[in-house]
Amino acid sequence: MILLRLISWPDARKHVLRSLLTVAGIILGIAVFVGMHTANRSVLAGFNQTVDRIAGKTQLQVSAGEAGFGEDVLERIQSVPEVRVAVPVIEAVVDTGRKGQGNLLILAVDMTGDSSLRDYQVGAGEDSPVEDPLVFLAQPDSLIVSRDFAARNKMKTGDALPMRTMDGEKRFTVRGIVQSGGLASAFGGNLAVMDIYAAQKVFGRGRKFDRIDLAVNEGVTVQQCQTALRKLLGPGFAVEPPSSRGQQFESMLRVYSLSMDVSSLFALLIGMFIIYNSLLIAVTQRRTEIGILRALGATRGQIQMLFVGEAAVAGLLGSTLGVVAGLFIAKGLAGHISGIIETLYGSAERTNEISVDPKLALFAAGLGVAASVVSALLPARNASAVDPAVALQKGHSQAIGESENRIRRNIAIAMGAVSLACLAVGGSALFFYGGYLLMALSALLLTPMLALWLAKAMRPLLSWLQPVEGPLAVESIILAPRRTSATVAALMLSLAMTIGLGGLAQSTYSSVREWLDATFNAPLFVTTSQSGASQFYHFPAAMLPSLTAIEGVEEAQPVRHLKLNLAGKAALLVATDLTRFAARTPNRRIAAGSYQKMYEAAAQGKGLIVSENFAERHGLSLASDLELPTPSGLLRLPVAGIVKDYSFQEGTIFIDRPVYMRNWNDDSIDMFRVYLKNGVAPDDVKRRIIERFERERHLFVLSNQELKSYVLHLADQWFAMTYVQIAVAVLVSVLGILNTLTVSITERKRELAVMRAVGGLASQVRRTIWLEAFTIAVIGLVLGLALGAVHLYYQLDMIRRDFTGMALEYQFPLSMALALVPVILISAWVSALGPAELAVRTPLVEALEYE
Amino acid sequence: MNSRFLILLVLSSLAFAQDARQIVEESQKRGQVKSEKYDGLLQVFESGRTITEKRWQYERIGSYGASKSILRFTAPPEVKGVALLVVNHSDRASDQWMWTPAIGRERRIALQDRSTRFFGTDFSFEDLEERDLGQFDFKLLGEDDVSGAKCWRIESKPRQTRASQYTFSTMWIRQDNYLPAQLDNYVKDQVVRRLKYFDIERIQGVWTARSLEMSDLRRKSRTLLKLDKLEYNLPMKEEDFTVQALRLGQ
Repeated sequence: MILLRLISWPDARKHVLRSLLTVAGIILGIAVFVGMHTANRSVLAGFNQTVDRIAGKTQLQVSAGEAGFGEDVLERIQSVPEVRVAVPVIEAVVDTGRKGQGNLLILAVDMTGDSSLRDYQVGAGEDSPVEDPLVFLAQPDSLIVSRDFAARNKMKTGDALPMRTMDGEKRFTVRGIVQSGGLASAFGGNLAVMDIYAAQKVFGRGRKFDRIDLAVNEGVTVQQCQTALRKLLGPGFAVEPPSSRGQQFESMLRVYSLSMDVSSLFALLIGMFIIYNSLLIAVTQRRTEIGILRALGATRGQIQMLFVGEAAVAGLLGSTLGVVAGLFIAKGLAGHISGIIETLYGSAERTNEISVDPKLALFAAGLGVAASVVSALLPARNASAVDPAVALQKGHSQAIGESENRIRRNIAIAMGAVSLACLAVGGSALFFYGGYLLMALSALLLTPMLALWLAKAMRPLLSWLQPVEGPLAVESIILAPRRTSATVAALMLSLAMTIGLGGLAQSTYSSVREWLDATFNAPLFVTTSQSGASQFYHFPAAMLPSLTAIEGVEEAQPVRHLKLNLAGKAALLVATDLTRFAARTPNRRIAAGSYQKMYEAAAQGKGLIVSENFAERHGLSLASDLELPTPSGLLRLPVAGIVKDYSFQEGTIFIDRPVYMRNWNDDSIDMFRVYLKNGVAPDDVKRRIIERFERERHLFVLSNQELKSYVLHLADQWFAMTYVQIAVAVLVSVLGILNTLTVSITERKRELAVMRAVGGLASQVRRTIWLEAFTIAVIGLVLGLALGAVHLYYQLDMIRRDFTGMALEYQFPLSMALALVPVILISAWVSALGPAELAVRTPLVEALEYE
Repeated sequence: MNSRFLILLVLSSLAFAQDARQIVEESQKRGQVKSEKYDGLLQVFESGRTITEKRWQYERIGSYGASKSILRFTAPPEVKGVALLVVNHSDRASDQWMWTPAIGRERRIALQDRSTRFFGTDFSFEDLEERDLGQFDFKLLGEDDVSGAKCWRIESKPRQTRASQYTFSTMWIRQDNYLPAQLDNYVKDQVVRRLKYFDIERIQGVWTARSLEMSDLRRKSRTLLKLDKLEYNLPMKEEDFTVQALRLGQ
């Protein structure tokens, strides 16, 4: 403590910039960590809050997936003695079209009985939020809105609210306003209640409900009622408490949440690296001071504790500020995440409030301090290793002995061998991740040796370029392998990370493009939403003949998409006429099975076709039986084929449309793939389709290019974070070079001064330092790109086995690697400018007195 | 809404001692008709002003407790064409369907909370049910004058087998014609709803109240129901009181 006050505090005040950099490292890491987790948590909390507020007194909810179920189920449920009250529900999210107001959650209920479950926040003595319940039921344009929404939109009872419906844009009438709080505050207050039978018409649901909310009778437990209902309804129905909707939502977002975790971990590592660098500079700059302290009797432990203590204090300060900054980041990020979730998963959520978790804040603060201390261990060890007698000897502390070199090399080779063995064994996560870690450690241990070899290999080139400055630059690197290898390792890891991320993006884009070209080859797509399918709007089957009759249309293939929950795992079900689909998509890539046989079997209702990632996630192979819960019971069919498909991260199942209609009692359609007659211009047909349906349908007609662009735009959204990470990785690389050169110049102050004293020109000193930076950058690039190639392999395999299950093609991002070469070289040169100027501008006397 | 129905519901919610039961049974007997038809005007008042006003045509067939009725709204325009079919059962809650012409379909009204107000009026769905008198205990409390008519004051309490929103009710039955004059419904010891009968007339030999007023004393609102063109024992067919008929009668 005394050392901290007497030594560290004055030093921190003297080197404000460096101290700020240390704290900034932790702020960055913790802020991103807290920001991402809090934003993610807030979105989930927002969803759960909406579910809770909408659920009211609901104890159980009966559902049968997105397709819903017939009205007869309600009466069956109401007849169960264990059920006290059961009411039907339809939920839909619609665009209000009002600027800044976003989406509105429509809760469609049967108002004659719904108040038994939900509190409509009416005034004292009232039992209805509408003036005249009969008018509300009689008029299908009736809406009840929350007071918040009404206030934001300056609306009162009787006002009109236009909304997009299945039959085009319609004007609705506000017939009631519920007070704020409770139900009315669900979905951020953007809630509207309407009659369920009107909603069936407006949203094209036929005579179906989405779910039934119920409460159990007195003296009956929820479990007893659940058992009775499961027995009555069979496996095609889910009978769960409302809280399980949150779990299903989380399950759907699994991959997204995982990628967020990886991103926040990445930020934390970057923060640790910045601290490590800052403290390394501090140790170098304070070597004399450390030597004096040691000479005055300070023990190695005390010196080590001094630096660890400094890191802990910086960690505490940085963590505190990081948590605060993270909450601000979360506020901005939550809306962005909600948008991504809506676009990617079709599940709309509105997050207005940030859910602050004190446990997360405490954990993050602890993590910040721990990361700070861990990052300081190596620099602290270096500091404690300073011998008072040799403290003034330049470069001594940077040397690595031959025996140390040999030990490192042998350990690295052993680790590399074990890593390869793990790869060969494969299988379990232990072998995979163990092998991955060993490979990275092996690369790190080999870095000094490889850096040395590469530096020596570059000597002729540098000598040829600059006969005096070139060898000097190389010698500086060779004589200080520890210092150089730290930077090279950092640069190598950053570049490997960059290549891994870039390679992942390239492999994904390449695979998705190929899939899009092979699968989405229709000239036009008629859809219920811009994103291809909407959970809330569907076309009726009766639209098919009208569409086919349009001049220029050769064939229109109806497609239905819906999300399933298979034992807690989300999946996408695609129902279409598989024979006609197969005839139009002959270039589709097959992962297992015969193209012709799989489609024949599926079209005959004797099998299902699944995507490769679905098979991977569910451990299925060809001919494995797959059970799907349907409103008509359990549908068990064998896997007839496995195809490459990137429709959904959690996996896709393809089923023939008649089989789907029979089992789900649903003939609605989400999309038509429209093929045209020869010589017909797609734009002309597009115009005709819009003219034919614009007044009676809510539809979008997308050209092939528009649909593909949209899908690729989704990939862009997904990889937006990746590109930020790439930029940060490159920045860290630059920071590493800057740090190394600063340390190098500080250590070589006297040497460079001697060079100038014996007649060396300032330009020669500058060039020496520039060449040193250039050499480090080249070594880092060579090792980084090599390690990146290996890292990419592991990353793609990680995606396959633990993220989406998608087997992406390995594609080394060559163009990115080539682009990195000038970026890193120029960055290295720019990083060298400051230290070079410092070297030539330091007064000779001061420089010669150093050491 | 059925005037017999509203009279009988008063009787239905009584719990007499033996004398009281005889009074109620006699009142019920005098009100028995094979069918009934009227044009109704319903007005809801709050703070002294009319909040809503509706008109409908009402037809009813069948005996008390097992009757069927159809109520078709004729005004205002927002509810014109909306129809309600009620099929009563003496041993269980009634089945109800509603036809909504604007969406072209009928819906079953799955009433699970009988204390719910009947479409914004001061009547609850329970107030409109035809119930078995055997499910009530009753007691003759004495005699009072109501609007100048001498009445028996009778208390009714639902038995344990009959769940009710009311703890008990007090009703007054006129001694001159056995027509109910007033009904007070209590929750614990507080009157929450009061039904009054006015404009007493003898129509086709049946004493009938042409106006009924239900007050919700907690909400401080009241609903007035006036019966016009009232006719009893008209020829009616069972098949006109089905869900199909509800659809066709739009």
